[in-house]
Amino acid sequence: MKNEPLAWYIAGPLIGLIVPLLLLLKEKQFGISSSYRFLISGFTRKIGYFNYNREQDTWQFYFAIGLVLTGLFYNWNGYDLNALKTTVGGFGGGDVKHYISTSGFYDLSNWAIFLFGGVLIGFGSRYSNGCTAGHCIMGMSQFSKTSFIATIGFFIGGLIATYFIIPYLF
Amino acid sequence: MKKLLNILSFILLGIYFATVLTEAQAISWYRIQEMFYFKSFHMYGLLGSAIATGALSLWIIKKFNIKSVNHNPIEVKDKPFQWKANFGGGIIFGLGWGLTGACSAPLFISLGINWKIGILLLIGALAGTYLYGILKDKLPH
Repeated sequence: MKNEPLAWYIAGPLIGLIVPLLLLLKEKQFGISSSYRFLISGFTRKIGYFNYNREQDTWQFYFAIGLVLTGLFYNWNGYDLNALKTTVGGFGGGDVKHYISTSGFYDLSNWAIFLFGGVLIGFGSRYSNGCTAGHCIMGMSQFSKTSFIATIGFFIGGLIATYFIIPYLF
Repeated sequence: MKKLLNILSFILLGIYFATVLTEAQAISWYRIQEMFYFKSFHMYGLLGSAIATGALSLWIIKKFNIKSVNHNPIEVKDKPFQWKANFGGGIIFGLGWGLTGACSAPLFISLGINWKIGILLLIGALAGTYLYGILKDKLPH
């Protein structure tokens, strides 16, 4: 498996193109975390937040199916998330941190991190009304104040997790 | 038939997006760790050029009044400004991003790549969403 990522100056613009593609082809503003709300409302609508016009978010569910299918395709080709340990460098490079065990981060022994981290992802993205897709990419492209504030929050949270939580978990 | 094509088009757009994210390794915890440790420019270049492309596209659409394929004008709405929720929720989301290396789109991609880990993330995310639904009215927005 090749370790080199697709260069940022190619991949970045291709990621950004999702914004005009969705607008021009489908008249949708890019986002993905509303799919969580859509999924829950498929099971229960007793709580007010889930009793809403869920059809507006149906497309995000289909978009998410495309994401899962892509993951399956990589899986069939033997893609291993732990094979990406080597740093891509820049800013002086160097290995990420030596506390990463030899088996790698993507190991079921870290199940509690994935489960609890997932709760934070779900809760946080709904509370802030968007995630890296809807705020960082779509919202920042609109120069939206809302998304600027959310993105600063994302980075503060990420830095806290990286410097003050992760080192004490291994 | 039209409905089926509509569904298919969203799935294809999802495949496009996921392929680029995976090839760029933006779905990897290691790349996210490097980003937060300021060890690599990769993720910053990725996010920066994605936003620049998105912004330029929106500018072009507005400037030349480009219509959608269905000949409708393009409307771009701003999300409501609720700084306490945007910022507070943002920090909580960022904690999850930093811990797991996954944000919402990579969460679904990892469900395909490694379903055991992906299902933990998804169950967590749905539980978190449910929790927000319960607490919504008690939280500052």
